[in-house]
Amino acid sequence: MSGAANTASWSARWRQRMWRSEPRDTGPIVLRHRRIYILPTRRGLLLIATLATMLVTSMNYALSLGFALTFLLSGLVASALLQTYRNLARIAVSPVAAGEAFAGSELAFTLSFANAGATRRGIVVTAGDRSVSVDLSAGATHIVQLSADARRRGRQPLGRVTVSTDFPLGLWRGWSYVHFPLSGIVYPTPEAPSPPLPPGREGADARRSASAAEAELAGLRDYQLGDALNRIAWKAVARGAGWYSKQFEGAGGRGLVELDWADLPPALDDELRLSRLTAWILAAEREARAFALRLPGIALPLGQGAVHRRRALAALALFPEHGS
Amino acid sequence: MIFAPAPATPLARSQLAWLAALVLFAQVPLALYVPLWTAAAGAGLVAARLALPADRLPPPRLRRWLLPLLAFAIAVGIRMKFGYFLARDPCVAFLYVLVGIKYLETRNTRDGGLLVCLALFLLLTQFFYAQTIGAALATLPALLVLGGALAALREAPTDSDWKAPIVRTARMMLQGIPIAALLFVLFPRLAGPLWGLPSDALARTGLSDRMAPGSIGALSLSDDVAFRVDFDGLAPPPAQRYWRGPVLSRFDGEAWTLLPRVRGGALVRADSRTIAYTVTLEPHGRQWLFALEQPASMPRRPADAPAPSDSDDALASLTSDHQLLARAPLLQPVRYTERSTLGIAFPGVGEAERRDNLQLPRNRNPRTIAFARELRGQVESDRAYIAAVLERFHSEPYVYTLTPSLLGRDPVDDFLFDTRRGFCEHYAGAFVVLLRAAGIPARVVTGYQGGQINPDGGYLIVRQSDAHAWAEALLDGRWQRFDPTAAVAPSRVERGLGAALPLSEQVPYMARLDLTWLKSLRLQWDSINYQWQRGVVGFNLDRQRDLLRDLRLGGARPWQIVVLAGGAILLWGIFVLGAARMRMLRADPVLALWSRAWRRLGHAGLRRAPEEGPLAYAQRAARRWPQWGELIARIGESYALLRYGPETAERADLIAALRRSVAALPTARALRGR
Repeated sequence: MSGAANTASWSARWRQRMWRSEPRDTGPIVLRHRRIYILPTRRGLLLIATLATMLVTSMNYALSLGFALTFLLSGLVASALLQTYRNLARIAVSPVAAGEAFAGSELAFTLSFANAGATRRGIVVTAGDRSVSVDLSAGATHIVQLSADARRRGRQPLGRVTVSTDFPLGLWRGWSYVHFPLSGIVYPTPEAPSPPLPPGREGADARRSASAAEAELAGLRDYQLGDALNRIAWKAVARGAGWYSKQFEGAGGRGLVELDWADLPPALDDELRLSRLTAWILAAEREARAFALRLPGIALPLGQGAVHRRRALAALALFPEHGS
Repeated sequence: MIFAPAPATPLARSQLAWLAALVLFAQVPLALYVPLWTAAAGAGLVAARLALPADRLPPPRLRRWLLPLLAFAIAVGIRMKFGYFLARDPCVAFLYVLVGIKYLETRNTRDGGLLVCLALFLLLTQFFYAQTIGAALATLPALLVLGGALAALREAPTDSDWKAPIVRTARMMLQGIPIAALLFVLFPRLAGPLWGLPSDALARTGLSDRMAPGSIGALSLSDDVAFRVDFDGLAPPPAQRYWRGPVLSRFDGEAWTLLPRVRGGALVRADSRTIAYTVTLEPHGRQWLFALEQPASMPRRPADAPAPSDSDDALASLTSDHQLLARAPLLQPVRYTERSTLGIAFPGVGEAERRDNLQLPRNRNPRTIAFARELRGQVESDRAYIAAVLERFHSEPYVYTLTPSLLGRDPVDDFLFDTRRGFCEHYAGAFVVLLRAAGIPARVVTGYQGGQINPDGGYLIVRQSDAHAWAEALLDGRWQRFDPTAAVAPSRVERGLGAALPLSEQVPYMARLDLTWLKSLRLQWDSINYQWQRGVVGFNLDRQRDLLRDLRLGGARPWQIVVLAGGAILLWGIFVLGAARMRMLRADPVLALWSRAWRRLGHAGLRRAPEEGPLAYAQRAARRWPQWGELIARIGESYALLRYGPETAERADLIAALRRSVAALPTARALRGR
């Protein structure tokens, strides 16, 4: 029994080494011969088949110069193989960042490519069905942005990245797999159009359903990290007077919104609820109103600002699917 | 998808230009060997495409109908020109035009890849016709453009710099030369073709198994080299240089032909007149090997130990009439050493041979036969008779000429008594008929006579213009050579064709007597060509075996050679990659010193993360090895200063200091030991 288990783990290890199917690469990965695969491209195969035909012809007609020509071309093909290898070898790939996006838009991942050697040309970085082609200049580190379709809410891993090249002659394609545990967060698609924000529970807001446009500017206070971008007093910034955030009349009282899963109409299914809550969070942000979020099992206290918003959206993104 | 498909993107103008260069350079060397109109059509199609504006590709209708129609029409034209199609030459001509048609219809990069392959094969086909140094050089432009064309297909060039891709290709080609040389030397050569050669591959100039009036004369118009000879010691004088070839005993009244071959001739004995030499014979599509008369040993490969002549491996066999025959028609140059005893008669082999060599066709050449009987009656011995015949050739007004008069139904009669103008085959043929009519067994021997010593290299060149025919007669049970041509034109034998023929006649350039500077230049060129022929073109099964023996690989099994070659290729790869890295480091001594330092520390157990900066890493290492901490920190600091700091005048001093510091760093073992 243990023997069988051993073989299984051995073959799994071997598969992992071959295909890098699990995201187990950590830190910078230097592409070395153990990771680099090289096979001829279709064009390379065609050329090799032509060389074989030329060889057979030379053999049949005893053409010494035919042999010489065929082997000279073989030398060129072999040299191209080494060039392709060199173009890929010793590149250090590191994960940098994974982005956030709403489902249906694009999710960005960032990798860095450090090139200690000479200039690399035509390096193609592929993840999923997207690829980017870059030239890496000598001795420099390049940041490469990969984008992916944000399909479903939740965590979306970058998946296995293929770094490949067919430089210089397009006869050989060398490639390496790197698989970082890098994943971005996909928020639910905001419902559009969405019903207006639920009225606040307290104060004046309960009486008048005023729109955000009626909020009056009360004054400025010092900018604090995390303040929403649309509340920065850009005019002051532009004047060079410093960084301030706008304070709105009643922002504390009128704006308070409680977004509660339980308050939504019972007919809505889970995903639609999440979509609506997402739209409302965005609306609250737009209207500069503080909000609290309550989901089954999760409660975010009243808050405001980028960090709060991200935390709320992430909670929605990662909300367990019904039945799971 | 394991093999990356070539994306089929439409071709840009720059890509088309590269492909055109490749196709044209592949076509040019062949233009001399294909019919003129195909040469013009093939290149014209390429030019037509180039003349079209880039955005006006041939419409699909043209592709679908016109081009196949064009290809078919050209195939029909070639068929009409040659009279056949499925043979080497028509196929080469067709491929030549086909490459042009393919170029005309090339639309995307996938077509482009196919076109490159077709062009490369076309480049090979020129070697069917010539394997000279010039032919080899003629492939160079196409080879240099090849890399540019492939790179352009990979990614359309955006600038018009055409030199850089060519330089890059040349560099890669040079890099691949060790591989090419290894494969050239070690790839197994075949003794014969894989499949039957088309008949036109065999048509070569040289002596044949049939001699009719005019056949040797026609051969004499060619300056082609028949073979070259290196003598061990001095070459014998021209009059003794009779290179024996086909022996023709059967006569039908007009032409001389071979008797059926009987194996098992006996070599003559070696004595003080025996000389040794090495012949490099050009392929002539037949089996004869040429040797000075008479062979005292069997021909063998130059480096071979004296092998028993009857082994399967023997190069040749000897027939009873002393013709040396190779085991198969010669399609490749062959090189052999041989020993001959000059001026020796050899014994006949019996009654059947005697009878065969007295045969004369009935009712042909009656005047000659009557004349022979009458003359024989006037002298008392066979020898005296032969002397009388030769004297007749010498004293009567016989003319030695390449342009004899036309002969009738009894050609010997016409020649001997009426026209009296003839070339060596006329004299040899008439002489043998005269002897046979007088009851003396005789036969015609063809081969080469004389040859030219190349002062530039000291070897003998025997050309087709040295082709000759003479006679052998059986006297007192032994065969002896007689050359009636020598009686008519002694200078032919002493000094060659150019001396013997009247000035007004067309003599091949190299056979003429005057040694102009042009001629001596050609001799020098021949000397280079001889080395080329021997070393490169003539590298065949035999030469490969010799070379392997010289490399002490003579007894190696095929798998051992494969393993050896694989190891050599691996070493080559490591060397090329290592050299590239060395070059990079040498270009940047600071980086080289720093990478030596961190490598050593890495070996000692502290690996540097690729993105770790020099200062951070040096600090980490200094903490790990406190007793060397100061030194390590200094290395990191000076590297950081040199690499990222401002440009200073003391840069050279700083580099020297860094070098001293790195040199002072203990070895990895010493570091580990602490």
